[in-house]
Formats: sequence, structure tokens, C-alpha cells
Amino acid sequence: METIRTGVYICHCGVNIAAAVDVKAVAEFAEGLPSVVIARDYQYMCSDPGQELIKSDIKDLGLNRVVVASCSPRMHEPTFRNACADAGLNPYCFEMANIREQCAWVHHKGATEKAKDLVASAVAKAALLEPLERKKVGVIPRALVIGGGVAGIYAALEIADKGFETYLVEKEPSIGGHMAQLDKTFPTLDCSACILTPKMVEVARHKNIQLLSYSEVKEVNGYIGNYKVKIRKKPRYVDEAKCTGCGECANACRLHGIIPNEFDMGLSKRAARYIPFPQAVPLVYTVDPDRCIYLTKGKCGKSPACVDACPADAIDFDQKEEELEVEVGTIVVATGYEMLDPAERPEYGYKYAEVLTGLEFERLSVASGPTGGRIIINGKEPKEVVFISCVGSRERRRENGEGGGERGEGARNEYCSRVCCMYIAKQAHLVSEKIPDARVRILYNDMRAYGKGFEEFYNRVVAEGAEYIRKELEDEVEVIKRSEDNDKVVVRTISKGEKIELEADLVVLANALVPRKDADELAKILKITKSGDGFYLEAHPKLRPLDTFTDGIFIAGCCQSPKDIPDSVAQAVGAAIRASIPLMQGEVEVEPLVAFVDEDVCVGCGTCEAVCPFDALSLEAGVMHVNEVVCKGCGSCGSACPSGAITMRHFKDEQIYAQIEAMCLQNV
Amino acid sequence: MDEVKLIGFMCNWCCYAGADLAGVSRFQYPPNIRIIRVMCSGRVDPELILDTFLHGADGVFIGGCHLGDCHYLEGNYYAEKKVGMAKRLLKAAGVEPERLRLEWISASEGERFAEVIREFTEEIKELGPVKCEKEELEAACIAAADYKLRILATKERELLEEGNKYGEVFTMHEMDRLLGDMVQEDYEAKRILLKLKKPMSVKKIASELNLKPNVVFRRILDLKRHELIGIHEIRDNTPTYIANTREGLE
Repeated sequence: METIRTGVYICHCGVNIAAAVDVKAVAEFAEGLPSVVIARDYQYMCSDPGQELIKSDIKDLGLNRVVVASCSPRMHEPTFRNACADAGLNPYCFEMANIREQCAWVHHKGATEKAKDLVASAVAKAALLEPLERKKVGVIPRALVIGGGVAGIYAALEIADKGFETYLVEKEPSIGGHMAQLDKTFPTLDCSACILTPKMVEVARHKNIQLLSYSEVKEVNGYIGNYKVKIRKKPRYVDEAKCTGCGECANACRLHGIIPNEFDMGLSKRAARYIPFPQAVPLVYTVDPDRCIYLTKGKCGKSPACVDACPADAIDFDQKEEELEVEVGTIVVATGYEMLDPAERPEYGYKYAEVLTGLEFERLSVASGPTGGRIIINGKEPKEVVFISCVGSRERRRENGEGGGERGEGARNEYCSRVCCMYIAKQAHLVSEKIPDARVRILYNDMRAYGKGFEEFYNRVVAEGAEYIRKELEDEVEVIKRSEDNDKVVVRTISKGEKIELEADLVVLANALVPRKDADELAKILKITKSGDGFYLEAHPKLRPLDTFTDGIFIAGCCQSPKDIPDSVAQAVGAAIRASIPLMQGEVEVEPLVAFVDEDVCVGCGTCEAVCPFDALSLEAGVMHVNEVVCKGCGSCGSACPSGAITMRHFKDEQIYAQIEAMCLQNV
Repeated sequence: MDEVKLIGFMCNWCCYAGADLAGVSRFQYPPNIRIIRVMCSGRVDPELILDTFLHGADGVFIGGCHLGDCHYLEGNYYAEKKVGMAKRLLKAAGVEPERLRLEWISASEGERFAEVIREFTEEIKELGPVKCEKEELEAACIAAADYKLRILATKERELLEEGNKYGEVFTMHEMDRLLGDMVQEDYEAKRILLKLKKPMSVKKIASELNLKPNVVFRRILDLKRHELIGIHEIRDNTPTYIANTREGLE
């Protein structure tokens, strides 16, 4: 048995700790603890001289355990672990006592006594710590990008440009996402399609990108460097290799011009054979399986008209769903968002023909849209247009605490959707440009023009004559129709005791950006977490904004939170670089804080196997086996094991018991 | 100091981070709580909780991520069941179950963390130090470590959601009854086991533990079948029993 020789270091953190904790007293106290060889206090332990102190003590005094009492281990544990490793001590023989965030900063009184307990606890645990080795695993040099909107497109291109094979999986028949639906983009008024479609074509042409459109990720297993992904490729009933995208099948289809086109927000009609929009990538027709007469009724005339019409003989009604399995090292999730269904907020009068959502307005305004870019409502140009901001955004939580956290029907969105203020300004500009004599009014709460060029653009729109009418967030808005006979609606609210009534031919709702309905399902497949608002959660808001808590999986774009195109692209490129690092390195280190099964004690009951959400445990020859690379070290298996065969490295029972004992011994 | 002592087990990703945020934002709360970091609230088992009380804690706090937000996906669902089991055992041992509190606190809820801890500390101060016999807590602690209750605490979720091997899904009511019965039985058995450090007759145990002799006898038979106790001697046609030291009491 080695003799435990512990060094304890109490940090003043300037006065952050020293103001509330008598650091000298704590150091003196620590000196009297079992196994402690030296206890020092120092101004800034994380500084170079502070770390040097530890390193020289390890060497000079033969320390084999180190305890630093300073800030949260979530802050500087890696720093001190590295310092220990530099001095030749196994980094896992280090323990930290959190006497800043959880002591000095939160207690005016009693902080010193508590700090002593926390140090005693850390010293007790340290004595029982075991040296652990980080494992290295190989990395499959391929990546997967989920979602083919602007973020996914940029992420895929970025990784592919670095020379790695990349799979881009898109659920819809074409990539492009929401950006492909937009008219102009704020604040520069670039044409959305003009800047996006070249990138879409680049994706299709790139030798390192395999585009899997009309496909979904069904299953993900494995761990960083070695993910096995099952992808379901839905049948298009068209041979992708043969289809030339000529459109003869759609023209011939008996449902031509009957089915509402989702891409145009239902403002135009398509056939059962369709491409969402003319610049679709891949330019391959797809059969709508829910509407196609042949597929739903088993028969379409004598023979399906599309089959007869296709000059390339590409139509194949025998096509079946395919399942592909690919292996990748890292994954970028860029699945985007959905628009809040305004019917969920009936007070805004979405049922009236005169009330549109922001996205519907985009389709109406875009030159390639169903009206050729003319803003037409009820057959004529609107002369009075009212925009309403924050529809379903910046809502207050209900009194009873409902909404906000668990997303469900009637969930309240406390967050700001970020893009609405500016796209309203842009749409206001488009109205004044296209209908110069139109009166444009904007009913808003606050103006958030926070980005580059935003304030300038807002000023420009105001100068163009847009009337901004401010109300308070709490003032409830209602859109009503006074008479069914005319084409006017009225937007009403009472703000600061004053009645506001705005008559309009067209009302545009800036409805919120919300998490996709399938965000939950994908989170479960990928084993990534969501924040309370339902968007995917980043590992650290400031220091690791593109990482998830699952190693090797990164997030970009609006699946993380609402954001505009520049931010989405910036994140996408960043996430792509993060995802490329392990691919370039060829191997990754994994944390050794994993479960360990004592084979002599394990009876093979399988209780733990059912508990493990990562499938890290499997029964082999009657005893449990831990896949140390897959195990994330949560410890749920250990606390479930009925025979006590499983221990959690670094959080072992005896280590925790030692902590409890040390904490309870003092002051009693 | 006659102050109460609280121990908190907090998951690294949510509650512990929430506690850090409370610090960064300087939200004050009483210093009675000592925090132990675990990776997941699912790591905490009833034995650990009972043992903490046995060591002299007056209150135990378990903090995890909000349901659905667990970093390990489901750990907090298990934590919920394990805390439920621990509360039953506490109650059996005569300790107020309110001394054990489970809360979901996210990494962004620093203010709420301070509020909850303030409130919990006040509650425990009101209750004062734990008032039960050490042997009662010890029995609850051994019962918590027993494989039967460990399995049950883990399987409770499965039994309620997916059902047992035969596909029978338990209702909350059935589960409540099952858990209640098993905890009571196991707790009584462990109390008897502890008494049997010294040889004793059924009658003596029954009077000391204030249990019915037929109940004691049933538990004695169970303990004997599991070879945790044996017959010490038979005098005047009355057997006395004693615990088998190695396996029974460690």
C-alpha cells in the first residue's frame, strides 16, 4: 500500500474567497487532517506561480494526492489536472473543493466553517482516489450532417472541403430549408435564392458529399469517432439516376394544380408528382404518397398518366423504402425550426383571409412565387398593411407555472424569436417598394435591431414612411372582422389606457420560431439534451456554444435557438470545424470516469442493462461487461445493481461515503 | 453550534451548475448545506441517502436536471423512484420524510437554487435534529442495501410503464401497496436482525420492538431461510436466535 501524501492548496482568489473565508484558518485546519503533508494558501492558485507551487510540492514533498480549494471544478478542474500531470502525478489523483461559487460567494456568515468541511471532504475523497488512464480510440474519417437548410449546407460544404466524406441527410425532397422560401434578406436586401441556390448546387456537385434527400435518421449508436447511423430513405417512386427533372410527369398528373404546395405555404397548387420549387436540389420529382391516385387507390386510369408521360422511363412504382447504414466519426445537427402555428393563438385572427404569417408573406412577395412577386390579397393590392410583432414570442409564463418548460399544447414561449423585428422591417420596406401608396403600420413591443447594419436598416424603413406604433408586451392584441361583407380586418389593443384600432387590408403576423415537432425524437436518437424552451442545448453558452454534451455531436443554426442567416452560417462553419478536429486527429481520448463491474460479484441479473440509456452494458458469459468507450459515467447502473457489483470510477461508494463522513464529523 | 447540517447530492450538469450560478450571481442562502457532486442524480441510491442520515445529517437534498433534460437522458427518472424508496424507509424508521427533498434545478436557475435551499434549510431548522434511535436508522439503511429493495427501486419505473415479465402493468395504487408492504417487511426483518446481535427469543424481540409475536416469527423464518440468523439454543422449549455474524451484519 502506498502512503497517501496529500497537498492542500487554499486559494484566496484575490478577495473573492478571502473576503468571506478565513483562508489561513482553513489552511491551518487542513494541516491537521489525516494524510495531509502540506497545506498552503495563495493569492491565485490558477495563476502560473500558483500552479508552480503545486508542481514543485509534488516533486519536492513526494505528494501523491492534490486538493485545491478554490472555484468550481466546472471552471478549473482541467487546469489543475493538467498541472498535476505536468509534475508527473496522475491527473485523476486530484480533487477540488468548491469554496467560491458554493461558499464564499453565497454566505456572509459561516463561510469559514463550511469551507473547512468542504476541504475535509475533498481530502477524504482524495485519499481514496485511484489513478486512471484515458483511453484512445480511432476515428472514422467521415461526418454526418443532419438537415439541409442553410446551416446544414454550409456545415457539409465546410467538412467536405477539408477532404472528408460527408453525408448530408435532408428530410424533404430538396435541400434549401426555410431560406429557400424567403424573398429578400435583411438588412442588405440580398435575394435569398440568389445567394443560396449556388451553394445548393455546390452540395450536389461536391465529390465528398453524399446527399441523401427525402431521408431520415432513424437510429444512432456508438460514440465519438465511431457512430453507426441508420438512415431511412423514403421511396420517391422515381429513379433518381434517370429523372431529368423535365416535369412532364407533373403536367400529365391527373391531380395537376389541385394539391396545395407546402413550399408556397399552400398559396399555389401542385400535382401529386412534384418538385417543391424549380431550383430544387436534387432536381428529381417525388410522388406524394398520400395523394397519388395510383398509390392510394391502386389504380389511376388505364395506366398512370405520369408513367406514359415520362420520356426517361424513370417512374418506378415498385420502389421500396431503403435502409442505409453508414459509419461516421462526428455528427453536425442542423435541423432548424418550425413556425408557430398561428391557429394556436386564435386572438390574432389567422382564420381570416386577410391575415398572413411572415413566411406566407415571403411567398407572396418573392418573384418566383405564386403571384410572381405581386402582393395581392383578396384579388387586389392592399392599401393598408399592419404588422404585428411577437406573436407567440416573449410570452410570460402562466401563473400556475404551466408552459415554458415541458412543451405541449399551449406552451408559452418566453424567449425572443430574434429575427421578427428585422424581417418585419424588411417586409415593411418591400410593401412600400411594391405598393408606394400603401400605409404601413407596425404594432410592436420593443425594437431589437442588435446586429450589424440592423439599426441603420430600421432607420431607413422609418424614413420610408413605416409607422411604428409601440405598445406594452402585456397589452393583448386582437384581430377582428367587423363585417363579413368587406375585406377589412381590425387590429385592436389598449395600451396605457389608450385604445388603438388599426384597420387593415392585410395583417402580417410575426409568428414565433419554435422547435421542430420532431426535435424530441431526434434528441432521443442522438442522446442530446434540450433546454427548457425545447431547442437543443449547447454544452456551455459561452465556452462551448457549438458542442452538445454528447462528444462528437455538434449543433448549428436554429435547432439551437432562433437566429438569423449570418449567425446560422457562422455557427455552421464553426460546428463543421469542431466536427472536423477529431477527423483530422484520427484518434480521440475518452474520459476514464466509467462504470466497472466486479466479475466475481456480478450475478448477471441484467438490472443494470435495462437502466443504461447508452447500451454500454451487455451480458457476456453470464456477467456484465462495460463498453468503456460508450459508457458516459452517469452511475445509474451502480446505484441499480442489486448485488453491488458495479462501481463508478471516481465516484465510488467508498469515496462518497468518505466525503459524507468528513462533512458530518466536523462541528457536531 | 446547534445548527442543523444538510448534505446535498447534486448532478454535475444541472443542479450543481445551478448552485454555481447562484454563487456567480451572489444569491445568498444559509451555509448549513454541504454539497457533494455526483455526475447524475441517478447515481444516488436509497442506501447512500439513509447512510447520510445515519452519519448525522439532519436533511438530505437531491438535485437533478428537469425531467426530460437529464444529461444522461433518464437518470433523474430513476432518482425520483429511489428518493421515493428512501422516503418510505425514513418513515419506517420514524424520521420525517420531509427531511429528504428532491428538486429539479437547471443550470440556469441560480436564483431558484438559492430560494429552494433557503426554504429547505428553514424547514429542517423547524424540525430540528433527527430524533429517531440510531438502530432504527441503521435497520433502514441495511434494508436499503438489501437486493430486494434495490431491485424494486430500480424496476418501479419499468413496472409502472411497461409492466412485468408477463406484461402486467402496475397501477400507481398497486405499486404503492407493493412498495409499502415490502418496505415494512424488510425494515422489520432488519430491525430483528440488528436485535439478534445478542441471542433473543421471539417473545423478547416482539416486546422490545413492539411488534406482534406472529409477525416476528414470520420474519425470523425468512431470515433463517436466508441463513442470516440461526438458532442459538433451546431452553425450556423456547428457542433463542442469533445473527450469523459474517453475512448478516457488516
